[in-house]
Amino acid sequence: MVILRAGLCPGLTAEMIQLLKANSIATVVDLVSSDLEEVARKCCLSYKALVAVRRVLLAQFSAFPVNGADLYEELKSSTAILSTGSKSLDKLLDSGLYTGEVTELTGAPSSGKTQVCLSIAVSTSHDLKQNVLYVDSTGGFTASRLLQLAQTRTGDEEEQVEALQRIQVARVFDVYKMLDVLQELRCSVSQQVGSSGPVKVLVVDSVSAVICPLLGGRQAEGLAIMMQLARELKTLARELSMAVVVTNHVTRDGSSGHLKPALGRSWSFVPSTRVLLESREGTWGQASTHRIASLTKSPRQPTGIEVELDIGSCGVLEESPAASGEGR
Amino acid sequence: FYTATLMVWSTKEILASMDSSSLPSSCPSSNDSYVVEFHGPEGTGKTEMLYYLIARCVLPKSGGGLEVEVMFIDTDYHFDMLRLVTILEHRLSQSTEEMIKQCLGRLFLVNCNSSTQLLLTLYSLENKFCAHPSLCIVILDSISAFYWIDRSNGGESCNIQEMNLKRCAEFLEKLVREHHLVLFATTQTIMQKSSNSTESSIPLKLHCEADVEYRPYLCKSWQQMVTHRIFFSKQCDFSSSKAFSIVSCHTKKKHVIKCSFSVAECGVQF
Repeated sequence: MVILRAGLCPGLTAEMIQLLKANSIATVVDLVSSDLEEVARKCCLSYKALVAVRRVLLAQFSAFPVNGADLYEELKSSTAILSTGSKSLDKLLDSGLYTGEVTELTGAPSSGKTQVCLSIAVSTSHDLKQNVLYVDSTGGFTASRLLQLAQTRTGDEEEQVEALQRIQVARVFDVYKMLDVLQELRCSVSQQVGSSGPVKVLVVDSVSAVICPLLGGRQAEGLAIMMQLARELKTLARELSMAVVVTNHVTRDGSSGHLKPALGRSWSFVPSTRVLLESREGTWGQASTHRIASLTKSPRQPTGIEVELDIGSCGVLEESPAASGEGR
Repeated sequence: FYTATLMVWSTKEILASMDSSSLPSSCPSSNDSYVVEFHGPEGTGKTEMLYYLIARCVLPKSGGGLEVEVMFIDTDYHFDMLRLVTILEHRLSQSTEEMIKQCLGRLFLVNCNSSTQLLLTLYSLENKFCAHPSLCIVILDSISAFYWIDRSNGGESCNIQEMNLKRCAEFLEKLVREHHLVLFATTQTIMQKSSNSTESSIPLKLHCEADVEYRPYLCKSWQQMVTHRIFFSKQCDFSSSKAFSIVSCHTKKKHVIKCSFSVAECGVQF
């Protein structure tokens, strides 16, 4: 909500604002949505001047439509598909992470969400030579594991250091700090601080860890903050054309007993792509490196596709015969 | 009357067989307005249906399209241009880059980041509708995007919570009426079915008949201007080739039509 003040736009004088306020027109929305003829009469202001101010305010505060053909041209040069470093995962995602989109990894504890995130971070920084911002809200990020992943890709120590330097890590333990970090990222890009180049992949592990404590109780407020975070992630993805990867945990559906992503209905509209990670065949007490990744939402691929991932010492890089059950 | 005929055509085409009997069979009067709400949970094909619609509208007449202009208001940062291009490529018999661009030239996109910005953008679009008579379809995806944020910003007062959306709905109604537009808007299923039936503005009978989960939560001004409400759902049964289904309800005539469709790489198929 923008309050009318002198200097907000050319032609809007302090005197005008006084008169408008006396007639309970205080914000831009108030002025723009009122009947200007009536306002001119009540406030003894020039109708012409009011119309001019309205036009300028509208131009200043409304969003401007772009032509589809122009946007397409722009997207052709700005959209990138970033390989995750794992052939099976790339296959699931229709060749990789798309910039401009939010991709969600969901799964129970120890289903491999953080390992996939770390693996994506290292692949992006080492193989693609792009910058990564890794936002860790669970404490699950470990530098030694990251180094181990880098070591499996190259024996050259300098290259390892370079790869790790391209990954910035931010530790946050509540949603407000997370929003701060995202705000800083936006500012650093707009001011072009840091000559290291733009961040191409933003990893948030995990969203549910900071959002869940806010839900329950006064729900509307918690949901509003959640949607604010969603909006921030989506605008960053679009405006800075980066690929955003978030993690979420799972709950069991009351009626069907199936696993479903947490955070409820409102959040379900946020990610464009959702991948469910499960360790199915691991027998009790036996640690298994096998995980099944299934696509539960995608703007491009039929849902229900599954691939097998093997999370070994090299991350999810290892090749494994892809078992796929396609269906819709 | 150009736009009136278009309205019938587009709606007829667009709603496919869903609502044919409730549409005026002969030339409609220009007072007929079409405000269509798409409602459904995530992953039930709403967005795909919008791409189908856009493709239908922007394709040239020679390619089976309507050759009209579309304004797409994206409040969820959800619109996927590359997906639309894929669908257009499948629809065009000879899809050259030039052809695609010609089609896309009939599409206008605008992103809104708050309900205030949405309202101001709608006000500023009025001139555009005046200047472009062939711009006759407006898609708003979604009108429920700011629900939680507005609710929290409005404090205790329900009036303040709904203020912006109410103004948006009222102005949309004016635009639709004065410029003979067809408006499609999506609303997301973000509420669980209410156990309290008095909250519902739709008669319960219709609920049972259509067997849909619906709980209106947006402001009254919006509820009242909707002429067709289409409920989207997805069958859990994967064996069926047509996994998605829609139930179309004419809000005034209480007329219900069901139909199902599938989604392939080339888009929606009935």
